[in-house]
Amino acid sequence: MVVDELELLSFLEWLLPGGDGSEMKIGALGVFLLIVPALSATVAFVCYLFSVARHGPSEGFYTVARTVAAGVTDISNISPRRVWAMARLAINEAVRRRVLIVVAIFMLVLLFAGWFLDSGSEHPARLYISFVLTMTTYLALALGLLLSTFSLPSDIKNKTIHTILTKPVRQVEIVLGRILGFVAVGTAMLVVMGLGSYLFVRRGLSHTHTVESFERVEGTTVGQDESPVVWRGTCTSADGHAHTFTVNQDGAGQTDVQRGHWHPVEKLSGKDGNPVFAIGPPQGWLQARVPIYGGLMFLDRNGQSTQKGINVGKEWDYRGYIEGGSQAAAIWTFSGITEQAFPEQLSLELNLRVFRSFKGEIERGVLGSIYLSNPDSGAAMRSVPVSFEAKEFSIDEIVFGRSLDVIERDGIPREGDIFKDLVSKDGELSVIVQCSERAQYFGMAQGDVYVRSADAPFFMNFVKGYIGIWLQMVMVTAFGVMFSTFLNAAVAMLTTFSCVILGFRSEFVSDIRTGDLEGGGPIEATIRLLTQMNLSGEFSDQLVTKVVQFVDQGLLLLMSFTANILPNYNAFDTTDYVAYGFDIYGGLLSRNLTIGLVYTLAAALVGYFFLKTREVAA
Amino acid sequence: MSVETVTNPEPATPETEPSEVVIETRNLRKVYRDFWGREKVRALNALDLEVRRGEIFGLLGPNGSGKSTTIKLLLGLLFPTSGQALVFDRDASDVEKNERIGYLPEESYLYRFLNAEETLDFYGRLFDMDAQTRRERVDSLIDMVGLEWAKRRQLREYSKGMTRRIGLAQALINDPELILLDEPTTGLDPIGTREMKDLIIKLREQGKTVLMCSHLLADVQDVCDRIAILHQGDLKEMGRVDSLLTVKDVTQVQARGLSAEAEEEIREVISRHGGKLMAMEHPTSTLEELFLRIVRDSEQRPGRRTVEHE
Repeated sequence: MVVDELELLSFLEWLLPGGDGSEMKIGALGVFLLIVPALSATVAFVCYLFSVARHGPSEGFYTVARTVAAGVTDISNISPRRVWAMARLAINEAVRRRVLIVVAIFMLVLLFAGWFLDSGSEHPARLYISFVLTMTTYLALALGLLLSTFSLPSDIKNKTIHTILTKPVRQVEIVLGRILGFVAVGTAMLVVMGLGSYLFVRRGLSHTHTVESFERVEGTTVGQDESPVVWRGTCTSADGHAHTFTVNQDGAGQTDVQRGHWHPVEKLSGKDGNPVFAIGPPQGWLQARVPIYGGLMFLDRNGQSTQKGINVGKEWDYRGYIEGGSQAAAIWTFSGITEQAFPEQLSLELNLRVFRSFKGEIERGVLGSIYLSNPDSGAAMRSVPVSFEAKEFSIDEIVFGRSLDVIERDGIPREGDIFKDLVSKDGELSVIVQCSERAQYFGMAQGDVYVRSADAPFFMNFVKGYIGIWLQMVMVTAFGVMFSTFLNAAVAMLTTFSCVILGFRSEFVSDIRTGDLEGGGPIEATIRLLTQMNLSGEFSDQLVTKVVQFVDQGLLLLMSFTANILPNYNAFDTTDYVAYGFDIYGGLLSRNLTIGLVYTLAAALVGYFFLKTREVAA
Repeated sequence: MSVETVTNPEPATPETEPSEVVIETRNLRKVYRDFWGREKVRALNALDLEVRRGEIFGLLGPNGSGKSTTIKLLLGLLFPTSGQALVFDRDASDVEKNERIGYLPEESYLYRFLNAEETLDFYGRLFDMDAQTRRERVDSLIDMVGLEWAKRRQLREYSKGMTRRIGLAQALINDPELILLDEPTTGLDPIGTREMKDLIIKLREQGKTVLMCSHLLADVQDVCDRIAILHQGDLKEMGRVDSLLTVKDVTQVQARGLSAEAEEEIREVISRHGGKLMAMEHPTSTLEELFLRIVRDSEQRPGRRTVEHE
């Protein structure tokens, strides 16, 4: 899973201006405050041009001014009762148009999905969770699309809107009411689908093992403080995997971790000669890790600090690399490391990339070392390095116990304590990672090493994942209603659909436009398709080609402009967080909520002006 | 239908406040254009109209003469190509005016998935009425239009006459001062038509102003104080119904119980005074009157079959 670098910002960092001297950021609020007046002025000017064409220059100006003034009055006079009346109408309409059928489809798919989802896969939990979340997303978006785009056009076609608009209803109330009503219907459906999927995931993952064989072993210990293992055994295979287990002398134990989960084991019968073990339900694969991220900086091979690591020639410079066997290091500094939060131990999780400049021993990972250090410049205290093996594409977990060996300036190890010796007064702690093998490289970005604090409840994370889906649905609904204020039902639906696609693939469009992706714009691509010409084949240098490419550039500019205005639905998709077991942190959630709300209100506003300036009886 | 439940505390007649103008159009023009802005239909030409408080004003004309267009312009459902449409001295596009008007569209454009109560409750909410007021208004209006027995049925099951009634009820939900009726009697049977006409007259008695349009001449003649006749978007004639219809040089005499001799005598009197007798005959009733008499008779004495021969 890739944690996007941008996503590590907290809500306020994202919203407000900030940044350190070198690169100032104006923050999302700043961008908003810049874009909105510019966009509004452009739109007003375009409207003025249209108005001039119809009414002449002065009358045209008054028409636009009147509309804007009326808009301000209308919006400040919104009556909640009327909005709610329109919302209730929308709900009634949706329910009586039997949209509940969507839930039926969902349940049906769930029923059959169990046959096809491979519970014997390497990460069944990920598979199940991403399946239900993805399916819910598609269904919710389809629902929002169908509900929102058909309603207003059919009102206008059936002229039912005549009886409404001749009441003291503001068009803004009609638009808001519609959005609200459909969102309410969609929300209810999402709740049902969410509970359904939660149960489905739980049930789909649940399996039982029974004990196959066991033997008595004396006096082996696994960890430092654990009681000696007395029993060791194996389980029968279920869902394509089997476990071994150990039980201590208190009769409690657990299996090993297979495919991301383990089972608790309990010794039931008291008779030592003939014990019976009960193996519990699977644990540990529905989790929501709460990572604490730190700031990252690098040391180059001579030990000089630098902002970025080495580029090993990958196009995507998201990760910086450090060279093995040199002084190069990556230093994360975490804050908020308190004794209350980590009373026992400090868990770090590493998700490093490995770049081998020679093959080496391919069976095992590349060795590295990690140690903690006190970020206070005066302290010069650090822990004894622990070496680890970086297995690529999987998460390495490294646990530092509360008491550990530390080294001071003198270089002699002594026993120390994380909080007394290594964490600075303001709760900061540095983690230094180095690669131990000469001419091999570790790649890392800010999000690749984190301190793992206590897990959040999985159910809550699941709910947060659903909030992401909900937001996407809300925006699709709002855009659907907006388009349906001036387009007929089918066209509104297609337009909304295209906007969703554009919103999902905005990067693709901009890559095509800049030429990073070959194949050309819509017309050129069509020609290539029809003439069976490959993507990179050169066109002959004719006038026609020039014209085609010129028109294509125009189209692409329009498309990427549209794509930039539209919401980027990918940003709202938090499926991966839930599936890979990461807590969706508050900053991300509140940022998405803010963006979603702003888009929804903007769509409502645009829809209002379209409906207001439309002759509904024409 | 009874209008007792819809009460207005200040009954005003045209005689007491003759000059207050409720609707005014100035040089109102409407041209329908196609997608490219080319002129398609010239629906209304330079219409100047004044409707005063307390009168029933009829817009009369054949199909496509611009009656509905006028009403829609007054409601702000259409925007004028040029000229002005004012309702209560406000521009027709002003939402505020809707607080004081009621509109019965040509077909009752209502939500077919709502029942009568829900429909009226919904429109009541649009007037920002509180729950208590809404309940009272809904009950009294359902009672008034005589749909008590069907108030829980979805409108999709309603007959045309019933839809019309509920349409009328929604137009009156806010106890409006001005009521615009677009073809109020279409789709109604003769009894319904009669009741609708009675109701319109009762509305005037309560001091309300009514603007209706119709192509059914009899309806307009029966209820309207003043009419305007439109043809192909042009105003052809406007004035009081009674004065427009009076034929000045013809005198009509109707009498009951005259003998044949007396009739002969009257003929003589007429010719002596130099008049020309145009007709002297036994009047026929209108079919409407005959039909209403039969239906009312049958309601009083159900089951009896009468075939009158005169």
